[in-house]
Formats: sequence, C-alpha cells, structure tokens
Amino acid sequence: MQRLLSTTLLLVPFLLHAQARHSVSGTVRDAASGETLIGASILLLEQPRSAVLSNSFGFYSLNAPPGTYKLIVSFTGYLNDTVAVSLDRDLTLNVQLNGAGGQLQEVVVTGNKNNNNVTKPLMGVQKLSVTEIRDIPVIFGEKDIMKTIQLLPGVQAAGDGNSGFYVRGGSIDQNLILLDGATVYDPSHLLGFFSVFNSDAIKDVTLYKGAIPADYGGRLSSVLDVKMNDGNSKDYSASGGIGLIDSRLTLEGPIQKDDGSFIVSARRTYADLFLKLSKDTNTNKSSLYFYDLNAKANYRLGSKDHLYLSGYFGQDHLGFSNSFDLTYGNTTATLRWNHILNSRLFSNTSLIYSKYNYTIGINSGSNDIGINSYIKDLHFKEDLEYFISQGNKVNFGVDVIDHTISPGVISASGTSSFNPLNIPNKHALESALYISHDLSPTDKININYGVRAGLFTVLGPGTFYRYDSSGNAIDSSVYSSGKTVINYFNLEPRFSMSYKLTGSSSVKMAYARTTQNLHLLSNSTSSNPTDVWIPSSNNVKPEVADQVSLGYYRNLKGNDYELSAEVYYRDMQNQIDYKNGAQLIANTTVESQLVYGKGRAYGLELYARKKVGKLTGWISYTLSRTERQIAGINDDSWYPATQDRTHNLSVVGIYKLNKKWTLSADFVYYTGNAVTWPSGKYQVDGQIAYLYTERNGYRMPAYNRLDFSATLQGRKTKKTDSYWIFSCYNVYGRENPYSISFEQDPGDASKTQAIQYSLFRWVPSISYNFKF
Amino acid sequence: MKRSFIFFGLSAVLFLSCQKTVKLSLNTAPPQLVIEGQVTNTPGPYTVTISRSVAFYADNDFPGVSGASVLISDGQGVTDSLTETSTGSYTTHVLQGKPGNTYTLSVRLNDTTYTAESTMPQPVALDSVTFDNAIGGNSLRAQVYFQDPPDVKNYYQFILFINGSQFTKDYFVFDDRLSDGRYITQKLQMDSSYLSAGQQLKVNLQCIDLNVYNYFNQLAQATSTGAFNTTAAPANPSTNISNGAYGYFSAHTISSQTVTVH
Repeated sequence: MQRLLSTTLLLVPFLLHAQARHSVSGTVRDAASGETLIGASILLLEQPRSAVLSNSFGFYSLNAPPGTYKLIVSFTGYLNDTVAVSLDRDLTLNVQLNGAGGQLQEVVVTGNKNNNNVTKPLMGVQKLSVTEIRDIPVIFGEKDIMKTIQLLPGVQAAGDGNSGFYVRGGSIDQNLILLDGATVYDPSHLLGFFSVFNSDAIKDVTLYKGAIPADYGGRLSSVLDVKMNDGNSKDYSASGGIGLIDSRLTLEGPIQKDDGSFIVSARRTYADLFLKLSKDTNTNKSSLYFYDLNAKANYRLGSKDHLYLSGYFGQDHLGFSNSFDLTYGNTTATLRWNHILNSRLFSNTSLIYSKYNYTIGINSGSNDIGINSYIKDLHFKEDLEYFISQGNKVNFGVDVIDHTISPGVISASGTSSFNPLNIPNKHALESALYISHDLSPTDKININYGVRAGLFTVLGPGTFYRYDSSGNAIDSSVYSSGKTVINYFNLEPRFSMSYKLTGSSSVKMAYARTTQNLHLLSNSTSSNPTDVWIPSSNNVKPEVADQVSLGYYRNLKGNDYELSAEVYYRDMQNQIDYKNGAQLIANTTVESQLVYGKGRAYGLELYARKKVGKLTGWISYTLSRTERQIAGINDDSWYPATQDRTHNLSVVGIYKLNKKWTLSADFVYYTGNAVTWPSGKYQVDGQIAYLYTERNGYRMPAYNRLDFSATLQGRKTKKTDSYWIFSCYNVYGRENPYSISFEQDPGDASKTQAIQYSLFRWVPSISYNFKF
Repeated sequence: MKRSFIFFGLSAVLFLSCQKTVKLSLNTAPPQLVIEGQVTNTPGPYTVTISRSVAFYADNDFPGVSGASVLISDGQGVTDSLTETSTGSYTTHVLQGKPGNTYTLSVRLNDTTYTAESTMPQPVALDSVTFDNAIGGNSLRAQVYFQDPPDVKNYYQFILFINGSQFTKDYFVFDDRLSDGRYITQKLQMDSSYLSAGQQLKVNLQCIDLNVYNYFNQLAQATSTGAFNTTAAPANPSTNISNGAYGYFSAHTISSQTVTVH
C-alpha cells in the first residue's frame, strides 16, 4: 500500500507537466432556473476520449491540442447542446441546457442516451434525480429519496416504518449520509415513517456502495450524498404540496439575476391536529409532529469564485399528556467556497457544522427526569480537482472533523427518584488526506485509483477504563483536556477499473477498504432516536471493511436499456454486538456492555432498466448472504445477521398513459429477516420463560408488497405547474410482519401463542402539488 | 426508555397496527433442567423446585424432577439437606435466612452436581403503595414508594399477589444505578391492564443480589411482549447456577404491604 501511495505521489508532478494543450472549462446550468447540473456529460466530438462529467458544482474542464472542435454537452432530461470551439488558448465556456420540452414526464421519455454507466470506472454507484423519483409510489404520497433508493439493487429496506437501510450486508449506522457535505446522524422523522430529506429542496442523490471514492470516508458500507438545490437565479417562484399528513412550501429566486440565488423550503406535518379534537384529556394534550427547514443561498463573486451557504434544521416532537415528551432533530450548516485557480484546477473549501440532539422529559407528579444528549461536528474540508489531460484527472484534499459527543446529561429535581448525572463529553479528531487519480491508458480502459490516509485521535479530558472479560473495570487512566488517549491510523486504498468490451458493454472491477470510527449503539429491532453514538476508544477498535466487486454492464438499443450484473464480497472486522441485557442509555461505562466480532457479506446483484418510451422502470434482484461471528454467540460459529436476506426483488414501472395521466407501480419481495425464536419454554416464578437455542436461527415470513400511484398533470406553462398524486401503499393489504411476539394465550392459561404485529395495510393518500 | 411508549401514540393516531395469531414451525430443544431456589429473611421452610422445559406449543405443564439430592448451606456452619415433599419440590428443615449471609445451593442429579451462590442483601422497607392511571388509557397500575439507602448498590424485585394469588404476567425489577440514595417512586407498569378497583393487592419489595437482578432483568427483556418491545436478539438469561441448568438461586429480603386497589 505504501508503494501505491508513493507511486501516486511520484506521478502527480509528471502529470502536472502535460504540455501543449489548451483547456476549455466552465459551468453547466439549467437554462430556465440557472441551477447547476451535476454529472452532465461534456465531450469534444473529434476527441471521443475527452468526455468528462461536470462535478458537484456543475464545473467541468477538458483539454485538447490546439484546433477547432465541436463541444457537445448532454444531461438526462435535457436537449443536447453543441458549441463550436476554437482552441487556440484556454477558454471559459459556460453552457446552459434547455429542458426537453419542459414537461417532466417527457424528460423520462426523451431520456438520457449516454452510456456513462458502461464507460466510467466507478462501480456500485446509483444516481437519482428528484424528477426521476416523482412518479414512484411511496407511503403517505410523500416522495422520499430514502424510500426510493431502497428499491435499488444491493440496498435493503430495514422494514415498514423505518427509514434505515442496509447496503451489502452493512448495518444502518454504516451508511454515511451527507446533506451538502454535512453528516446527518439520524435521517428519519417520526421514528422512520419519513426521511429528513424534503425532496422539494433536493437536487441530486448519489449512492456509493462499491468503489467509494477516496474523498469520502468514515463509514463502512456506503455513502449517500444528497445535494440541495441552489435556487432559481433567473426568476422568483413558489412551489409546494398539500397532503393528508403534511404540507410543503418552497420559495426561491435570484439574489442578483444570474449571479446569485436563494431557496427556502419548509415542511410540517399536521396529523397531531386531530389529537386536539379528542375528548380524552390525555390525548388532546398530546403532540406528535415534525417540521423542517432547508435554506440555501449562493452568490458568484466574479468569474472565478462562488460562495454557497446552506443549512438544514429539523425537529420532531412527541408528547403524551403532560407527562412525557421527546424532542429530537438534526441541524446542519455548510459554507462553501468554489475557486477556479486556473482553467484546470478547481478548488472547493467547506466549513461544515452538524449536530444531532435529543431531549426527553418525564414528569409524573414529583418524580421528574430530563435527559439531554447530542453529537456535534465541526468539519473543515478542502477538495482540489486537477484536470490534466483527456481522461486524466487528480482529486486530492484534506478533511478534518472535530467530534464532540455528550452521551447524556440527566437533570432531576430534589423530589425525583433519579440523581442528576452528567456523563462527561467525549472528544475525538478525525482527519484524513486523500488523493485519487482517474486515467484512461487506452481507449478501452478507465482506471480510478487512490488512497485515503485517515487518523482518528481520541482526546481527553476524560477517564478511560479497561475492562475484564465480564465487563468489570480493572483500571482507569485520567487524561487532561486535549491530551491524546489513543491514535488509530488507517490507510484505505481504493481502486476501480473498467474495460470496454464493445461500444455498449464493459466489465469493471473494484477494491475498496473503508474504516469507521463512530459507532451507533442500538440493541432494539430498529433504530431509535435515543440511540447513542460512541467514538472508537482504547476498548472499541475501528471497524474495517475490505470489499472486492466485479461487474458486467451492457446497454441495448442505443442505450435505451441498461443491464448490469455485479458480484461482491465484503469482509468486516471489529463489528460491535451487545452483551445480554446490555444497558446502553446513560451509562458511564457503556463500553463494558459490548462484545466484538467479524462479519462477511457476499452476493449477486442484477439490474435491468428501461430508460425511454411510454413504459419506463427497472427490475432489481439481489441474491446475498450476510453473516456474523461474535465471541460467545452460537458457539463462536458464523450465523446469519438480522438483515441477511437471501432474495430481494424490486420492480418499478412507470407508464405514461397520455399527456394528463401517468401510472406507476412498484412491487417488493424479500426473504424475511433472520430472527431468534424460542425452541421451548419453562417456568420461572410461576411465569412462562422461553428457551432459546441459537441466535437468528429462524426466519420471519417473506415480505411482499405492491404500491400503486397515479399522477394527474394539471395545466402546465413555462412558469406554472400543478399536479395531483393519488397513491395506495400496499394495494393488496398484505399483513407484513413488523414483529412477532410470544405470549401466554389470554383465552387459555395452559397455552402459549405467537402473535404477529403488522403496521400498514392499504394506506391511501392524495396530494396536490403546485408551482408558480 | 421503551420504544413502545413512543410508538403507542403513533400507531394509535394513525390506526395502523394490526395483530393476529400465527402458527410457527418451531423446533423443540431436548428437555432442559430448570432449578429455582429461594432463601429469604422471613421464617422458613424455603423451597427449591426442579422441573424440565417443554415444547413451545405444549401445555404449560412442566414436569417436576424427582430423586435429586439438594443441600443449602449458609456459610455459618449450617447445612440443610432438603426433603422432596412433592414431585420436584424440595423443602428445608432448619435453615433461617439472615441478611449478609452467603448461601450455597447444591443439587445432585444423575451424577451431575449443579451449584449456585447468592448473598442476601440488607433489607429495605417498602413505605407505601398507591395507584394511578396509565398514560393513554384508563388502566390502573401500582406505584411503590421506598427510600434507597445511599452509597450501596441496591437491586430490587417486586412480586405482586392479587387477591392472594401470585401475579405471573410480568417481571418487575429496579436498580439504583441512576437513583442512589433517593426516595424512590416506581411505577409497576406493563403493556396491558392488570389491576381493577376493589382487588386486594400485596406487594413484596425484595432486595436481591446483582446476579439475580441480572437474571430477572434479562428475563424481563427476553419475555417482553407487544409490537414494539421485542428485543433484536432475545437470549437465555445468564444464571448463577453452574453446569448448564436454567433458573436461579436467590437469597433475598422481603418487605410487604397489602392495600385495596382504588
């Protein structure tokens, strides 16, 4: 690995001296709104290998020997633009693309005819634009990117009533979820019924599950990179939606025409208003809602600099009578400065703040208790992109995050049953240097390789314990403020490569090592707002994963159809599990409650997508296995992880009936979770206790569901738009098990029985959406 | 804090949850030996019961195990050899429980000896019992009051008797991890209603040792019921009995109050 790093570093100066070429660079935007377009394809017709994609800020740069060329810019759902360029010097060329016919549905019809999926080396990458997900049915009619990505291959839903997802056998906390670069620690609202991402404020979503690029780090399984809209820089507009559960409103417009814009988007649910109508005094004093706010502003300072400021604030509130309330939410803020150092060197500097906190208040007469907890990041990131020559690019940068975790502060009055308690904050510094290089040594081969060198520093102040095998503290060391407790250094090589077999087919392979130093402690069936994050420490080692994957990609009928097959194998070290009866909340010695082990996951993912025509959609199928080996569990042998699902099938179909109606449906089927059920019972103190013989030895019944949705397009002009969405979740009312509980039969004291609980049957919804 | 608490309201509002009985295909483990033994600070005799596990779908009829040789010693020179008074039920003769003593149980059966140890904590007195309505419903539940002694770790178990018969639908345990030295108000709550006005309720406040607390705390987690209470990985509780037997051996103190439910 050391060698790969030094080779890369040696290569850089050589590459920087590529000569006698001129570059053309600029920003690609939507002609109507001025929004930058991420991932647009730019190429010189006479130099087919010159193709590049615009970066996260719409910037592109490519270069070629002096001459006259035709520059072609294309992007999903937009008309191609061709510009004649005369490369006798370095040029700046900003491009504005017009939407295809201006009709969203027709976007899908016109489609993206490029074959980036075949030619780019990155594998295990899925990109979705918000327009693509509009027609996919979801629960409560609220389009939701978190639910939509769960229909993609290799991504598994955690289940009904849960926004969490598993990627290639990883657990929920092993996904890095970013909103404009800021970590979102809990991406769910209302305990998972909704995600925090308001799709009106979202521009682009990319999920990396295989070859994670070197500029991302910190989680084991995947990166979900969500980017917010910049706002319309041409004109003011308002858009929104009214649904049964919530309403949304977005305002956007120019700060200065073409040079700056803003967008503010807000949502609130109002299901709890019905509680107020209740006659029951406990119920009508209860509350249950969330709201969130996305805001972003950007301003261009001259031709080389661009500033972006964006933020998110969301809060959930659950309260019962006057005796219990829980408030939780995320706050993020991102300040970014894009600077074009020269036509080949693009710099992005980010200052990011991110916080997740929860507060619980319990009040019952004189017995009261309040619990506060948070995790807070201050994050600096510098990314540089150097466009060397055609197909030849270097990304490098530095990434430093200061983490502060407050595991819990308990406040209680003098008459409370509880003592006030302040569990000391935990501090850690997560820093990394990365470099990656894209190159295409021949017409057929594209390579991306790189390395991320990460250092995780656990800092004082604090008392750090060591534990014996039964979890008793055997000694402790006290560290003063800022003192280093332990350093973990990890080198993470990343490599991916594509080999073009024909113009429309390729094979790709990838290897990636990832590490994770923040761990979410959760021992319930699904994630809770009160789950605790802990950093690596003297006891908790960094989680490490190595993944290899291999894939075959084939486009048919001029890229109208995309087919792919990928196989992967992932090995995971230092995985965390919990002791029997582990006490995770407000525990100063929480690390004594943990046990460690290994994981492995492997599988085959098949994906077929039809991108154009009246009928569009995809089929995704995953055949996989996910296993764990934890000391002391199942005689130390490998056993299926909870999320081990042999089969996982999603089918999504969108049919454009006519100019007014679009119909869509999705079908989901997957093998039930591996679960622990009793293999007998016995009596303790006159009560029935259940006898367990092994962890995860049984299977939940298979999950399946069909959803349906119909979109009625209202009158649409260049400026205004409106549409209705009618949908039904779980059309045939399948009672998918949420949990199965073992209980005494209330009707017959001599028997025990298994009770299956299900959440959703037939959830119909209507929403009205507008823009003017 | 239980997730159910939060979810209760959510599912109530959205009317989404539904339930049904399902017949699962469950394996049956070979019958396992279950030993339950208690020594208390109230006058003896004390009982040790030995039984075996059965299949999940079998009747709740747990066969007693005869012919074991059962001894309890108090670490102060007294060793009581128990007599089998009915099938699987063994009682003491001379032993008298006393706080501070460490008791050792030894059960010999078919050439295997199962042993356990438990230390009887100092007693804590139960002050009073009141009743209140559970959140979100009209079901009555008991609330107990007592003073936790400062600077010692205390572990408590509550045993309920309704109209004279032991309540066997839930395990109630409490520890002073976050409450050391406080005057404790503790709700004895479960998912469904279990009390009605007019009943005679007797509450035993038992001071138990750490191992017994762990046993019942884990048992309570593994046997919790309802849509949202099931833990991700239920397991057999860690017992203080050696050699693979199930059950527990507890030396504990008892302080009681009897009240009429209102």
